[in-house]
Amino acid sequence: MTGFRIVANVTELPTTTFGHRSPMWWGTIGFIVIEGSTLFICAISYFYLRRNFLNWPPEGVFRPALTVATVQAALMVLSNIPMAMVDRAARRLDLRAVRVGMVVCTLLALVMCVLRALEFEALNVRWDSNAYGTVAWAVLTAHATLLLLETLESLVFTALLFSPNLEQRDLAGASDNALYWYFLTLVWIPLYAIVFLSPYVM
Amino acid sequence: MSLTVPAVPHEPGRAPESAAEVVGRLEDTWRARPGLRGWLSSVDHKSIGKRYIITAFVFFLLGGIEAAVMRAQLARPENGLIGPDAYNQIFTMHGTTMMFLFAVPVMDAVGLYLVPLMIGGRNVAFPRLNAYGYWVYLFGGAFLYVMFFLNTGPDTGWFSYVPLAGPEFSPGKRVDVWAQTVTFTEISALVASVELIVTIFKTRAPGMTLNRMPLYVWSMLVQSFMVLFAMPWVASASMFLAMDRLVGTHFFNPAEGGDALLWQHLFWFFGHPEVYIIFVPALGFVSSIVATFTRRPVFGYPAMVLSMVATGFLAFGLWVHHMFVTGIPQLGASFFTAASMMIAIPSGVQIFCWIATIWSGRPRFAVPFLFVLGFVALFLIGGFTGVMIASVPFDTQVHDTFFIVAHFHYVLIGGAVFPLFGAFYYWFPKVTGRMLDERLGRWNFWLFFIGMNVTFFPMHELGLLGMPRRVYTYLPETGWGGLNLLASIGAVTIAVSVVVFLVNVARSLRVGEAAGANPWGADTLEWAATSPPRPYNFAFTPVVESREPMWQHPAELPAVEGLRTDVREVLVTTLLDAEPDSRHRHPEPTIWPLIAAIATAVLFITLIFTPWGAVIGTVLLFLAFVGWAWPRGKDHQEQLMIEAES
Ligand code: HEM
Ligand SMILES: [Cu+2]
Repeated sequence: MTGFRIVANVTELPTTTFGHRSPMWWGTIGFIVIEGSTLFICAISYFYLRRNFLNWPPEGVFRPALTVATVQAALMVLSNIPMAMVDRAARRLDLRAVRVGMVVCTLLALVMCVLRALEFEALNVRWDSNAYGTVAWAVLTAHATLLLLETLESLVFTALLFSPNLEQRDLAGASDNALYWYFLTLVWIPLYAIVFLSPYVM
Repeated sequence: MSLTVPAVPHEPGRAPESAAEVVGRLEDTWRARPGLRGWLSSVDHKSIGKRYIITAFVFFLLGGIEAAVMRAQLARPENGLIGPDAYNQIFTMHGTTMMFLFAVPVMDAVGLYLVPLMIGGRNVAFPRLNAYGYWVYLFGGAFLYVMFFLNTGPDTGWFSYVPLAGPEFSPGKRVDVWAQTVTFTEISALVASVELIVTIFKTRAPGMTLNRMPLYVWSMLVQSFMVLFAMPWVASASMFLAMDRLVGTHFFNPAEGGDALLWQHLFWFFGHPEVYIIFVPALGFVSSIVATFTRRPVFGYPAMVLSMVATGFLAFGLWVHHMFVTGIPQLGASFFTAASMMIAIPSGVQIFCWIATIWSGRPRFAVPFLFVLGFVALFLIGGFTGVMIASVPFDTQVHDTFFIVAHFHYVLIGGAVFPLFGAFYYWFPKVTGRMLDERLGRWNFWLFFIGMNVTFFPMHELGLLGMPRRVYTYLPETGWGGLNLLASIGAVTIAVSVVVFLVNVARSLRVGEAAGANPWGADTLEWAATSPPRPYNFAFTPVVESREPMWQHPAELPAVEGLRTDVREVLVTTLLDAEPDSRHRHPEPTIWPLIAAIATAVLFITLIFTPWGAVIGTVLLFLAFVGWAWPRGKDHQEQLMIEAES
């Protein structure tokens, strides 16, 4: 077996790191890429199937209603403000601010879930009516799945913030969660434009 | 030494430990848990990697048995061994097994075993996620075979084209089984790719800059990125298909504005890169073996790396060449022809670099090296026919004939299975501590090489004569009987060679020559660990100063100390230069990944029968997630201790 000659010591290195220094951050990026691709594929399919129709939405189908969806889109953008505050507070190791921010964001996520349910109504078409309905539902459902999972995760995470089992590195977790949140909410804006606005212009 | 590592003084108050003390404590801290529960809870990349490799190999054997049955059926005209329905299921099972359950997983499996060792690390970046990925894969594969034995095996080919695979023409559950199996394996492949990317980015030994990374590690990095961008396409496609079948959506239903070609685009945008996902890691095997058996660093390291990266990019621009006969615009066809020919360039560059290495070194013709030479020969043939069918008029002629079957088996067996067998012979001593027998190895190689050519070379001719693929029999008047018989004799030869391999493994495990740490005199870090490696891989994290650390310091590697020995701890380094950056606690063994995988399996399998599966599965998965992530127990105590002390 090969022997070792010690040339350095790493005892002093930190054990909690943030951002790109932490493996978890890279793992989060990896899953963002995967989920981003899935949403992208739904969007591509939307335009691909569009080519099979003369009118979009097809004859006899109403355009989607805009009110709820527009409120939702605005809420998603604005929710980045409290989430950015959570992110900053976590990096300062300011537990109190992280707690407050996460409570706010979790409540917002719950509201978004309710709005999402209404958005399905607002499409004005069923998934099994025609390919237009199918692919509009697909975009919405794909994003809704991610939203639901993130909401559940936020609930658990916020509970953990108030539990005695909290560890310091969970603050790094809060920061990674914020990164995911930016993705989840901002990626919705182009998807919103595709599903809700484009039927008015295409 | 070069100053890649800042020298940090010893922590005051803690006496430096002697090497023997360190090893003793690491043995205690990293010891595997005993018993069945311990086995099910393992998060060690080596035990998981071994399971992964063995499971994938079992699927290779199953796929091989299916191939043998097909060859027996086709051996003579109007043979009555199996009927059309069974034949449909068997070629679909064979293709699905070989592509989704063998080729991709086995490459990931070997990577998950080797990469941490090669980069001087202790485990993959997310050990529990790794275990989860394995279990999901195992359940997906087992599910497919259980359904097959219940006569519900998929029967629409490994790419399940709609409309054949749609609800109208394939009622029943067979295609759903296919679609969900694909979903299982995509999840495990995606998990493995995130795992490998982060492991390679963040846990390389200090000093192992990107520019010093072994070529095999580069190959796994490129492959992982390809998986990351390719797999979501087939995962989405198979989900769309399942929805068309389950809840009446119209993705692929032309009557309601859906589109059958959408399926082909989505599938091949994954399916073509898939071939390279299988092939690129094989390039890594070949580079490792060539370097070791010529005792020369592979010629043209930057060219090798760049051509692997180029292959990774180009592979995404070729998918339409699978659709030349679907009536795509002619300009498009010409573009994809050109792109398909272009991918021969990076492969050519690599082959020339290996030849230059072999030329300048003194090659030792041990079994791993024989498999590399076999790879070059077979892959050249497969590459030539590939360039031929990239041309539209020729492809129109041979599309869906046995010419295609011949082509892709040359590429897949020559380009991936031969390097893989070379890799088995090469790394077997590291994994088990024993050498495989050389003499049996030569029999293995030559029978495989000859059998491969006898099986598949005649298929080119059969294709040109017009024999379509996926037919369960043919008439005597076609005159195809002779060549088919020849192909079947070849298949028997391959089967014998695989049996020789199994005998060799069984024998070596009991009486094989003891290997020692570095039996081949190789250059990369995995050979610094004992054979088989200890659970913590290296007592001290090595420091790397060149591309060939073991040739530079054969007796004594420079290393860092200071990771904890009382708690499982790993070193995290920076992405580009691999400078030590932080210490991370490594999780204790846990059963939760298995539970989460069971929840996942319940989700996918019930979803075949009812949309409520989504609800049930999500609830179970959520509970499993909480069980997995909620900090408590030994993990929690250790984390608190570390945080208190730092
Ligand atoms: C080991 C010896 C092997 C033999 C004798 C063999 C034989 C065959 C035969 C006879 C067919 C097609 C028959 C037909 O179209 O009617 C076939 C199809 C196929 N094989 Fe193999 N094969 C072998 C190994 C492999 C390997 C290692 C892979 C992949 C890594 C592979 C992938 C496929 C695929 C994807 C198909 C197409 C299935 C379909 O049409 O849906 N085979 N093989
Ligand atoms: Cu291709």
